[in-house]
Amino acid sequence: MLTTIKKSRGLLGMNSRNLTYIRPSNLQDAIRLADNKLRSKELLFNNGIPVPKVFGVIKNRKDLEMFKWADLPKSFVLKPNHGRGGEGIKIIFGQKKDQSWVSTEGRRITIKDLRNHIMDVFEGFYSLSGVSDIAFFEERIQISKTLKPYAYKGIPDIRVIVYNNVPVMAMLRLPTKESDGKANLHLGGIGLGIDITNGISTHAVQRDQLIEKHPDSKLKLSGIRIPYWRKILEIAIKCQQVSKLGYIGVDVAIDKERGPVVLEINAHSGLSIQIANLAPLKYRLQKVQGIKVQDEAHGIRIAQDLFGGEIEEEIEEISGKQVLGIIESIKIKHKIKEIAEVDDGGNDKVITEKNESKLEEMELKAKIDTGAGVSSIDKEIARKLGYGDVIDEFDEVVKDLEITQSSKADDLDEEIKDKLLKWGENFSTVLIRSSHGISYRLMVNMEIILSGVEVFSRMSVIDRSHLEFPVIIGKKDLLKFIIDPSKKAQTIMSSVE
Amino acid sequence: MSEIINVIISQGVDVETVYLILALPFVATLIVIFRQIIGVKSFGVYTPLVLTFAFWAIGLKYGLAIFVVVLISGTAMRYFLKKFRLLYLPRIAIVLTVISIAILGLLTLAGSFGKIGLASTSILPILIMITLIEKFISTQVEKGIRTATILSIETIIISSAGYYFIVWDSFRNLILNHPEYIILLLVINIILGKWTGLRLREYFRFKDVIKHVDNN
Repeated sequence: MLTTIKKSRGLLGMNSRNLTYIRPSNLQDAIRLADNKLRSKELLFNNGIPVPKVFGVIKNRKDLEMFKWADLPKSFVLKPNHGRGGEGIKIIFGQKKDQSWVSTEGRRITIKDLRNHIMDVFEGFYSLSGVSDIAFFEERIQISKTLKPYAYKGIPDIRVIVYNNVPVMAMLRLPTKESDGKANLHLGGIGLGIDITNGISTHAVQRDQLIEKHPDSKLKLSGIRIPYWRKILEIAIKCQQVSKLGYIGVDVAIDKERGPVVLEINAHSGLSIQIANLAPLKYRLQKVQGIKVQDEAHGIRIAQDLFGGEIEEEIEEISGKQVLGIIESIKIKHKIKEIAEVDDGGNDKVITEKNESKLEEMELKAKIDTGAGVSSIDKEIARKLGYGDVIDEFDEVVKDLEITQSSKADDLDEEIKDKLLKWGENFSTVLIRSSHGISYRLMVNMEIILSGVEVFSRMSVIDRSHLEFPVIIGKKDLLKFIIDPSKKAQTIMSSVE
Repeated sequence: MSEIINVIISQGVDVETVYLILALPFVATLIVIFRQIIGVKSFGVYTPLVLTFAFWAIGLKYGLAIFVVVLISGTAMRYFLKKFRLLYLPRIAIVLTVISIAILGLLTLAGSFGKIGLASTSILPILIMITLIEKFISTQVEKGIRTATILSIETIIISSAGYYFIVWDSFRNLILNHPEYIILLLVINIILGKWTGLRLREYFRFKDVIKHVDNN
């Protein structure tokens, strides 16, 4: 109980949001502006922030009479200015030849229908307490290819919370069948947490419960990369600056052609974003409070430094390759022995048996060394892994070899290889020419597990007892990986502590 | 009984009225605690407050029966009227008409089953409940039927708690003997007004996030 309270200190609750953040940061005038769609849109537009185009505003009956219907494009959205919860929004997605359109539900819409709808808006049909409202025509956002598979009917949008010019948390909202194509979370839309550093989705939440897959398309919801991520963050910060809302939630949609477009700005942004990100918001807000932020780029940098997830995961996302540090903890499988045994029936039978000590694999510290061609392993370790007999015989063979002539070396090499044949194809030798002369090294095929990936490595067996690391992983075995020198091996760090 | 109360009563003010007026701010504070500390939302402060007193006037059982009938018939009418595309005010008037008929039916039915208590209910508490339907419908429009239903249930919970609070004898004796305790409410509400801690309910809502927070 006590730890729960302690752990929850960084969470932003309703009381704290209202009293600590909205009240002091958001002045009444700024809130009123955010609630007025047309006015906030105009302000953003005048400051160079992309917003859906307005094709026409109809304030009264006279405007309605004078309106030139022919000027309307093929597809558009008709909205009441103060409508809430998506009520009264008409989406037109195609035009017919006879001066009529098609709605998203597939119904035929005539000028008369639109006119009636606007009259309803005037009468306050869609505004809460019946207060008279005005209507406007707006550009219809075309869903981007990346997000299309995840959205049911409607347009997904990205909510970015900005405080003190720093984007502190973000969430992708997806419309679902349950939410009837609307991205609003309280209607059953899905919220996806986003890693602020790279715009990749992390966790997903629907109705405050964590989910893994999209309920309609069954697609996996983590790992979605949102396009134009940096631009989205820049736009969100700019929205805060011009709107003068200290604590703002900016809703951005991504248009197929135009890219990020601001749909709405909110003075009272919801708290579910914390569940989608599995991260407490208050903690982040406190961190950025009071920092002097110079510009958008600085704000983004601060967010990335403070709230970034694991960068290596991002690289893995792009390259499909695992990221390794300089020192990694690896596992090497024990040699499988083939021995002959007589069973009860008296027949000779070859069975495979893992050696006496039942040691199946060994965990070791390995140095990742791109300077080395092949990997190598300490002789003693190799013995422990069950290669003792091979090593002994190999040592016996090479002991008496006195190689002085380089031309003879190749012949001898063949000779050793032949001798090793009886041990199976997992063993061979390699000829090494160096300033000290010519020597042979035993090569053993081993199965190692490196950062969770299985690698069949051809390792040279040498004496490394005087060195810190019993294993070196060389270039040949690193093809599936990317190396980041700043990454630390977790298991090793914990064992050091 | 306190001196002040005696003076007021001696001027001809009904003791019941005095009690209810004094209880009002206590119930309001109770509702604030429900909202700010526990996190039971309901429809604002006013709605559960008047509902509490409506329950008090006609008894909890009948009060609940009437309130549920009002909510159900109101919602049904809203959906029915959606098709006709009427203006807001006439629409609400039609909803009220239907609710009135429904309540009249309920009272008659109750009378025929010998439930005299319900049949002889006074008009004022019923009126109060009918006016609440407007709040309910506007919430439906704004936040959807699901949220509106949850909020109605929460309102009923809070109002029932308030009801048990004002029919509690110890509480009655306390404020009739010490009406000065009402000053305490100011202090309590100032503290509540500055309270930025998590609401009890938010601990459940954010349980997954809390689980995920590192200990350090």
